[in-house]
Amino acid sequence: MERKKLESAAANYSYLRGLFSIPLGSLCIVAALGNWGLGPLRHAWIFIAAALVLGAACLPINRYYNEHYGRVTPSTRQQSRAFVATIIAVAVMVGGSFLLRSRASWSLDLPVNPIAASFGLLMLAYYAIVVGLRTHHVVIWGGLLVAGLLPVWSGADPSNIGLVLAGVAAMTNGILDHRLLVRTFEPSKDLGVENSDAGT
Amino acid sequence: MPERSDEPILDRLIHEPGRLAILTVLSSVSDADFVFLQRTTGLTKGNLSSHLTKLEDAGLVEISKRFINRRPNTNVALTPVGRQRTAHHWDQLERLKGLSQTSDE
Repeated sequence: MERKKLESAAANYSYLRGLFSIPLGSLCIVAALGNWGLGPLRHAWIFIAAALVLGAACLPINRYYNEHYGRVTPSTRQQSRAFVATIIAVAVMVGGSFLLRSRASWSLDLPVNPIAASFGLLMLAYYAIVVGLRTHHVVIWGGLLVAGLLPVWSGADPSNIGLVLAGVAAMTNGILDHRLLVRTFEPSKDLGVENSDAGT
Repeated sequence: MPERSDEPILDRLIHEPGRLAILTVLSSVSDADFVFLQRTTGLTKGNLSSHLTKLEDAGLVEISKRFINRRPNTNVALTPVGRQRTAHHWDQLERLKGLSQTSDE
């Protein structure tokens, strides 16, 4: 019996439900398209409606995970780590974006993509703290970080392209997280939705 | 012959692989439902149900039944005693492993 494998599978389950990243990534892309004023997305209310639709899409995803993989409450320690990681993530995202390139007087004003770089960094930090880095996390978020830091982003504000890159990265990472979860939790022989519960 | 107090003693109730898997999973979360335990341990419904009954009777887990979206849901959590005994059992296994490695050398 592999103790560590069982413990980490249970502890990481909540954070590997990657299908949630698809509406989240879509929201980043919709925000970028809205900022560019493309088609109907130039209206603010369309973005709000799209955000609500994407938020509603999380409900069937949540139901799918609950019915097929079960419900679990992470340990207090795991929840604290996730909370700390979220605080760090927000600080890195906001602080990093302003520091790398913004109109603030203290900004370094570098020819980088601040959204892509800071989002890549924060996601690397988040996964390192909460779940433990896997190869696809390093490739996707490390790739986004490197792409954002390449000195090729001079000229117009590249934030919207950064949002699109972050959205695509989030969706790709989510699909791979979900694949990892499916591999980790092999179905047992008599598990089915009709068997979603059993008395003891 | 009396047992030496420093010798590892394995808890027979916990040592059964299915039950040890259940307790190990529960020791890394606050609580989990039946489906999650089935997924993580790979046990069949009947086996899991039977193991949980034994663990509940021994006071190692606490089982609560509820309805979520009109469907029955069985939630399981370790009791403080269960958490302590599981950790102790793993410590004993580690000691045994250490002893066997020492005797090999």
